[in-house]
Amino acid sequence: MKLGSVITIALTLVASLASAQSPYDEADERYEVEEKSRFSLRALVDLRVVQGSEVPSWQENGPGKIRYGGIADGAAFERVTRFAIAQLALQPAVEIGWGWRAEAQINWDGDLDEHGNTSPDHDPVRIIEGFVRRDWADAGGGWSAVIGLSNPPFSLEHTGPARTPVLSLTPSALTSWLWEEGRVLGAEGHWWHATPEGAELAAFAGAGWGPDQMGILLARRGWVLSDFLSGANSRLPVLDGNGFTEVFDERDGRPAVYAGASLADPWKIGSAHVGYFDNLGDLAVTGVWETRYGVAGLALTPVAGLDVTVQMLYGTTTTRGAALASTINAFYPIVSYRWREHRVSFRYDDFSVRDDDGGNATQEDGNAYTVAYLLEFWLRHRVAFEYVWVDSDRAAAGVPGDDGWQLSYRFRY
Amino acid sequence: MMVSRPRAAVNGMRASTLGFATVLLALLLGGDGMAAEITGKVVDPSGEPLAGAVVFVDTLPAGMTAPAPAERTAAMDQVQKQFVPHVLPVVAGTEVSFPNHDQIHHHVYSFSRTKTFELPLHKGENAQPVTFDQLGAAKIGCNIHDWMDAVIVVVPTPYYALTDDAGLFVLRDMPPGTYGVVGWHERQRTSQRQSVEVVDNTTPITLTIDVNPPRARVPARGGARSYE
Repeated sequence: MKLGSVITIALTLVASLASAQSPYDEADERYEVEEKSRFSLRALVDLRVVQGSEVPSWQENGPGKIRYGGIADGAAFERVTRFAIAQLALQPAVEIGWGWRAEAQINWDGDLDEHGNTSPDHDPVRIIEGFVRRDWADAGGGWSAVIGLSNPPFSLEHTGPARTPVLSLTPSALTSWLWEEGRVLGAEGHWWHATPEGAELAAFAGAGWGPDQMGILLARRGWVLSDFLSGANSRLPVLDGNGFTEVFDERDGRPAVYAGASLADPWKIGSAHVGYFDNLGDLAVTGVWETRYGVAGLALTPVAGLDVTVQMLYGTTTTRGAALASTINAFYPIVSYRWREHRVSFRYDDFSVRDDDGGNATQEDGNAYTVAYLLEFWLRHRVAFEYVWVDSDRAAAGVPGDDGWQLSYRFRY
Repeated sequence: MMVSRPRAAVNGMRASTLGFATVLLALLLGGDGMAAEITGKVVDPSGEPLAGAVVFVDTLPAGMTAPAPAERTAAMDQVQKQFVPHVLPVVAGTEVSFPNHDQIHHHVYSFSRTKTFELPLHKGENAQPVTFDQLGAAKIGCNIHDWMDAVIVVVPTPYYALTDDAGLFVLRDMPPGTYGVVGWHERQRTSQRQSVEVVDNTTPITLTIDVNPPRARVPARGGARSYE
């Protein structure tokens, strides 16, 4: 036997003995679990090729009802195709001790049309949310507290990552508005209870400052369908007079108040949601709008893969001086079916503004149809195609109707 | 009654010989009739009980082959935006299903070496089960809800247990012999392994695992504020 072979056999024997004596040493590393960091950073980028309506979008002070529109050339309108960063969102979060967690979201977006022009309407960087939160909970229920800048949680659509809609690219008119003007700086409490059978009852209430101009957009501009998330520092265009409204604009010192409740059945077929908001606007203060509304909705999953969501809103808004008192209404059902990574959704929107002063200044009656196909793949990627058609009698006579398509690629981390 | 005592140090050859003789004796005397159990407690260095620790046998007595596990399937549920159970020990080769009993979607994934997989957005019970065939710990997460996490611990033999709130466990139906018993905890700095000689009836042991301090749980569930 050669010396090399002897050494090899000897080494093999030694290795075998060592292995036999402590087999777990070898496996030890495999059983290590990486500890979760106190810090986390989520990100989402949504890139789109978009062809919107012929008329300029509401974002550019135009009459267009969808997020991306055309360009005005004198009295004529031109439909254009845009490349858009529809959303670049960052969501840092950190555990700050004693069970509290701080979360924030900031967004940026931009677009470029086929003529090489960018839209002038974009905010630089928008602060969407920023709050601290703490939960006290066990399997049967609990409490949580949220303190900071947030949006009253009424939308049944903006429940995806970075507050994006889950079932489509563009949310309904109803929830588009909720995420335009609803920002509140304050505190919110949640309570929930789960029965042993699996039913869940939840309730929340909050109060905060900031939305003193809430309602102005519906009265002066009307309803739109848009996945643009406004920030606390956003200035949103209103249609008439080329004016703007501040999303966060505390004028009267009175906090807005809101509350809601939900009930989910034990078989996980669906949940019912109700909510009420009142900004307690003091009309004695210049520029304040007094707006209150109620929402009610159902989110159903009658069979695996099928999602049906229905939500309605009814409310009033008014301000001092101008004859703009209005009753606001919106309603939508959305039906969505998911098969493996594929999802197809169809939504009908109905919305209106009734001018309660007897005039025609705020009057609107409209509806919209949305069809979307979404494909999720490789954990973090999604492509989607959507077509939206909107009809509203608010648009000035002779203005073409709104419709547009979007092709989206989304990456989230 | 003869009660064996755990030994911190192992002489592999002697243990193997002893183990083989014991197994042979057990087989001669009727096998099942001699089945015993290891009971015990898992504690941290200060003596506080550790709940959610996994105690498992990684080496069997010489000559003994691992019996087939009673269960080849297991489930890790998703309830109230949490994985239930938080720690799931399974034998290598087990198919684990991930039913989602929340009314929202979850996107279950693991990047662990033990098992890399993902289950795209799903609800209900129609997600494909995942087979865990490599030994080790697989950290499970939800791509949508950062705070959701769990660990699946894949062990080599069907002799395993999860400690209760008092840190107690029982390994049952063990033929006599010398076993390598491992104590594992999610927060462990180092795990602990003992060689335990089982003769008959009950063999008590205590495993001490040095663990990192617990962290406050991230908000886990509740209310309309939670996004999908």
